Amino acid sequence: MIWVAWRQQRTESLIAAGILALLAVLLVPTGLDMASAYHHAGLTACAGHEASGSCGDAVRAFVSRFEQIGNVIAWLTLVPGLIGVLLAAPFVLQLEHGTHRLDWTQSVTRGRWIGGKLGLAIAAALLAALAFTLLMVWWRAPLVHLQGRMEPGIFDSEGVVVFGYTLFALGLALAAGALWRRAVPSLVVGFAGYFAARLFVETWLRQRLLSSHTATWALDRAAPANLTHAWVLTGYPSDKSGHVAALPCPGIHGPGPRLTLLPKCLATQDVAGYMHAIYHPASSFWALQGLETGLFGGVAVVLIAFAAWRTHSHAA
Amino acid sequence: MSSVPALRTDDLGKRYGSTWALRGCTLEIPTGSVTALVGPNGAGKTTLLQLAVGLSRPTCGSVAVLGRSPQEQPRELLPRIGFVAQEHPLHRGFTISETLELGRRLNPRWDGDAARERIDRVGLPLGQKVGKLSGGQQAQVALTLALAKRPELLLLDEPVAALDPLARREFLNSVLEAVSESGVTVVLSSHIVADLERVCDHLVILAGAHTQLAAPIDGILASHPLLTGPRSDAAAVARAHDVIRESHTARQTSLLVRTDRHVYDASWESHEIDLEEIVLAYLGQGRSHFPARETHAEAVAG
Amino acid sequence: MIEFHLETRSGVPAYLQLVQQVRQAVRLGILQPGDQLPTVKEVVTRLTINPNTVLRAYRQLDHEGLVEGRRGVGTFVGGDAPPLPPDDVKELRSSLQRWIARARAAGLDEENMAALFADTVRPPVISKVA
Repeated sequence: MIWVAWRQQRTESLIAAGILALLAVLLVPTGLDMASAYHHAGLTACAGHEASGSCGDAVRAFVSRFEQIGNVIAWLTLVPGLIGVLLAAPFVLQLEHGTHRLDWTQSVTRGRWIGGKLGLAIAAALLAALAFTLLMVWWRAPLVHLQGRMEPGIFDSEGVVVFGYTLFALGLALAAGALWRRAVPSLVVGFAGYFAARLFVETWLRQRLLSSHTATWALDRAAPANLTHAWVLTGYPSDKSGHVAALPCPGIHGPGPRLTLLPKCLATQDVAGYMHAIYHPASSFWALQGLETGLFGGVAVVLIAFAAWRTHSHAA
Repeated sequence: MSSVPALRTDDLGKRYGSTWALRGCTLEIPTGSVTALVGPNGAGKTTLLQLAVGLSRPTCGSVAVLGRSPQEQPRELLPRIGFVAQEHPLHRGFTISETLELGRRLNPRWDGDAARERIDRVGLPLGQKVGKLSGGQQAQVALTLALAKRPELLLLDEPVAALDPLARREFLNSVLEAVSESGVTVVLSSHIVADLERVCDHLVILAGAHTQLAAPIDGILASHPLLTGPRSDAAAVARAHDVIRESHTARQTSLLVRTDRHVYDASWESHEIDLEEIVLAYLGQGRSHFPARETHAEAVAG
Repeated sequence: MIEFHLETRSGVPAYLQLVQQVRQAVRLGILQPGDQLPTVKEVVTRLTINPNTVLRAYRQLDHEGLVEGRRGVGTFVGGDAPPLPPDDVKELRSSLQRWIARARAAGLDEENMAALFADTVRPPVISKVA
């Protein structure tokens, strides 16, 4: 059965491998470039105190040089969804074309057939997720050293979340396919569902998975250490008595404040007051990773189980 | 010849939603026979075959293949049943050789040499992609796949419906060769009625999801005379015999009856008509006449 | 070697047609004693008919003594094919010629004669009780 399942999945698996290879071809040159620039600027020693002195300038230069690419690369987070849906295609196409009837009358029971095919699809999805994660983690390493990995757009290609994402896309496409037995609508729904779910989690749910922390510090002091490489959800300044005030510093108010801009801005002003920030510290990284992976992965397991059950019990 | 019928159903029925695809089907198909399963589209032929091979579950009644239940004992039965579904689905991206490999890996008993030899005889290259073959060639590949497991029962669902006459003839030839070589029992569903008489020795007619007739072909011709006579009503005849079809012109009445007895009535002249006409008459009726079991027993005794 | 053919609309069962063709071939000398009949498989392939039909025909011929089946080898024309007594044939032919002359005089053409013969020679399926 393994040979049969592999042969039926071969084309799609090779396409997925091709996509990953293409990604590698695109990312490796810039990755190497970035790594060497990092070493040349001596930024390794700067990790941890990016704001101060010569480090601060070098870091700012480095970041502004590679930030743009980093933002574009962030869109690659759609690739796990694409691959998950692609790996669901062989199963759904079989149901659409009726060739499962051919297999089921060759003396293999439905259970063994479903187990073999889904098992192999899951294995391929996990392998693809691994390859993707390794590539992205390697590419982003210098930037992560400088900026941490809590920010949206970076968080979702680090750690283990990609495994959850890929399985989720796979499961959604499989479930739709088992229900409708038509490939194109199922794959479209799979990808659209993946996109919608990711968007929802990224913009609303993730920050609520754990309770956030609040920090307050006087503006003439440095930000507390906890805020280093943290994911700052929102920030606002206040005057000495705690009323929300305004600071003539762009980019530090509201959601996603760039607190690193604060020292430079304050150096030119003379203000008194406090800064408040609501954030998730860098130490929450693995907790959030675990929760989000568990969420996507858990739903994936349910969807895949549904696909298996539906295919097993429905009329041929 | 084994006494266990190759296929036996007992009040078998299958419902999809609120529609009955098959209902009250009771028949026996003897081992070693070549049976035609005839009926219009939607009559339940595919449903019956799928129930026999275990692809679906009966809503009511039972089906026994080679004496066992396909639902309860698929591991036992599937290696002994060859099945070619409608439109002979095959993996289009596979080569013929890979298709045979699939059969080899998924079936416990497999005669690879015979399969390759048959493909060779039909003149197909093993490395050819299945998607590039013609309909007739694909049908032959599907048949090879079904026969290479050395089945005791071969179920073919409309295998020749979409084929040109030559491909149809070649396909039926292949099936009959297999019968003469191995004595495999064949059930062949078709909505094309021609060719049946020479290929098959047993006939099952399904219409309106019911079994209209299930009997050996030899007996059918003798037991279905066409009675003609001056215009009159069929009531007298209908009291003694089953009237399958009646038609009237201004001066003449024709009755196709089913009977195992002589028609003792001087006013009627009897003729023997051919099988195709008899089948068409049944298909035109679409109602159930009598339990098929009785017919078989009568035909055997008669 | 004899080559079979089938007339699908003749009303004569297939196996009987095969039997008749073998009888005819023997009579006309196309098949000699010791000649092998086509194997069941060959006939099936040639005519696309049910193997049981061929088996039935060969069994009947064996029963009539015209052929004998040798297990594992084939079916062969027997040496004791009873020849038609020539005097009987001669007598039947001349009485037939007289009948034909009478039928023609009564206005029957060849087709009518053949129909009458076919109707009379076939045993009735359902007997009509006058």
